[in-house]
Amino acid sequence: MEANHVENAGNAENVSSVPSVPVVEAGNKTKKPMGMGASLKRTENILGWVYISPMVIGLLVFTAIPIIMSIMAMFYQWDKSLLLFESKFVGFDNIKSIFGGLDSATYWKAFGNTWKFALQLPLGMIIGLFLALAMNRDMKGVQAFRVIYYIPGVMSVVAVTIVWQNMFNLDGYINALLGSNMDWLKDDFGITFVVNLLLIWKGVGYTTLMFIAGLQSVSTDQIEAAKIDGANSWTILIKITLPALYPIIFYLFVTGLMGAMQIFNEPFILAKYGIDNNAMTTVSFVNYYFNQPGGLGLASVGAWVLAIIIFILTAIQMLVDKKMRGDY
Amino acid sequence: MENQEALRQTNIPQVQPMSEKNKHINRRKLIMNIVVTVLLSLGSVIMLFPFLWMLLATLKPGYEIYSGDLFPHEWTFAGYKEMWTECGYMMEGGIIRGFVNSIVTTVPVVLVQIIVSAFAAYAFAKLNFVGKNVMFLIFLGTMAIPFAVIMLPQAWLYGRMGLTNGPLAVIIPKFFGSIGTVFFLRQFLFGIPDSISEAARLDGAGYTRTFISIILPLIMPALATQGILSFIGNWNDFLGPMLFIGDVNWKTLPLLVNDLNGAGGQMEYVPRALAASLVSLVPIVIVFAAFQKKIIGSIVFSAVKG
Repeated sequence: MEANHVENAGNAENVSSVPSVPVVEAGNKTKKPMGMGASLKRTENILGWVYISPMVIGLLVFTAIPIIMSIMAMFYQWDKSLLLFESKFVGFDNIKSIFGGLDSATYWKAFGNTWKFALQLPLGMIIGLFLALAMNRDMKGVQAFRVIYYIPGVMSVVAVTIVWQNMFNLDGYINALLGSNMDWLKDDFGITFVVNLLLIWKGVGYTTLMFIAGLQSVSTDQIEAAKIDGANSWTILIKITLPALYPIIFYLFVTGLMGAMQIFNEPFILAKYGIDNNAMTTVSFVNYYFNQPGGLGLASVGAWVLAIIIFILTAIQMLVDKKMRGDY
Repeated sequence: MENQEALRQTNIPQVQPMSEKNKHINRRKLIMNIVVTVLLSLGSVIMLFPFLWMLLATLKPGYEIYSGDLFPHEWTFAGYKEMWTECGYMMEGGIIRGFVNSIVTTVPVVLVQIIVSAFAAYAFAKLNFVGKNVMFLIFLGTMAIPFAVIMLPQAWLYGRMGLTNGPLAVIIPKFFGSIGTVFFLRQFLFGIPDSISEAARLDGAGYTRTFISIILPLIMPALATQGILSFIGNWNDFLGPMLFIGDVNWKTLPLLVNDLNGAGGQMEYVPRALAASLVSLVPIVIVFAAFQKKIIGSIVFSAVKG
């Protein structure tokens, strides 16, 4: 999927970086007539850059500069009312604070909470797979089901989270219904359960649609043949369907994990602000210290630790992917 | 997906099913269809139930919110009235201003972002220029950078630039295109044969004219889909506006709704918070109802091409 494209783009780059060689690659989408003149080439060079220039400017001003600033901020006790260099230089103090220092416990608790709220990713994918298998049948009403299951995903996160917050309130509807007395939003297990359930509810429609799209590529001939050979549904699922769905599974997992590591909205709105509670996530930590005097540096360290962990996780997945594809 | 072709080639002799067996299979299929429909319907109830609860809760008085009864004993529009007055206290122009702010921070963004992204996608898909693939990889790479890393310097920067005193901090940066949209449109453009634009150029049209008059109409469906998705995403955005909007009177609907909800859990305030939540969903419901085929189709497209 995405990884594939990166590879393809890399290959195309090798080809086009040697302009004197006539372009004959079958896979090259930018093939030009052989008689293309030098002036046309120049026009494309100039226009290409003109067309992407707004994006390049945006990249420099709104991404590159903030990245450089946040790297430098790690070494300052930067206050948001000051310029970076007006703030106090503290060297590695911010980093030490997160690795074993004053803020270590809070940060790593937030980090742990983030992982607890990532349980929804594998669970949601399994549920989405079964929903996709159910909705991939030739029967009436599947189209309506596909729409219905997708609805929570497009609705405003603030609005739906407020609904869940009130349903799972200590005196709320769910406790009244179950006759229980569970403090869902404060209790460690409770908030883990509610956030994961909320995320599955919001995300499962998308996962299902992705799997349905993937199922179109599963060979029906092969399934028929396996059935004739006496294979049961479970064997067909494991041996035929899942391998065919592998690219989608991989894509959903990589992007899903990136998203899960950056979870913020749902626990933030459910458990209402503050820090050092069971709902605080890594991004909540970063957001919290932004508003603390001199806290920008610490927030930057928190954000970069998260970024590096995401990079490492993604790299590991890419390596595993390479090996898996090699095994086919 | 590549092995699909290989699988197709493994020819397996088709066994002609007997009609007796066929009947049996048909009945089994019918039973399975009924079972699946029942299960999916139960699931649909779960998916939609929070919205039903929400709608009914807005029609309850505060003291009835926290009960096990789904329907109100006393039907009232008090929640909506309170929402109206309370929003008026919270910002000039109340909930209407919230809508205006959300529209102002969403519609121009969608329009400009799509056009800018379309030009970039055209360059990446159809033009040969020095550094093209490197730039594309760099842009893709930025997608891997967590928002948490850049959001704080961004907030600080926008504050220094004076953008946070109005809606501009959530608008201007998004004018510079979106790599996700570029990626999607680029895939779409690959599906358009080069011969079309080459014919136009042979007739003397320049690249820009070719793009605007020939290519853009062809990719209109893709542009519309991306526009709709961008609208929904921007309308629902919470963290960005929370950090980038410093002026109370420029808060977007999600911020207003969140403020109205306060710390949550005080029953007399719940109906108004839920009423505001419900009202803030109306544009999304309309857009989704009108374009659900396009939205769902785009996911299928991205799954196959992505």
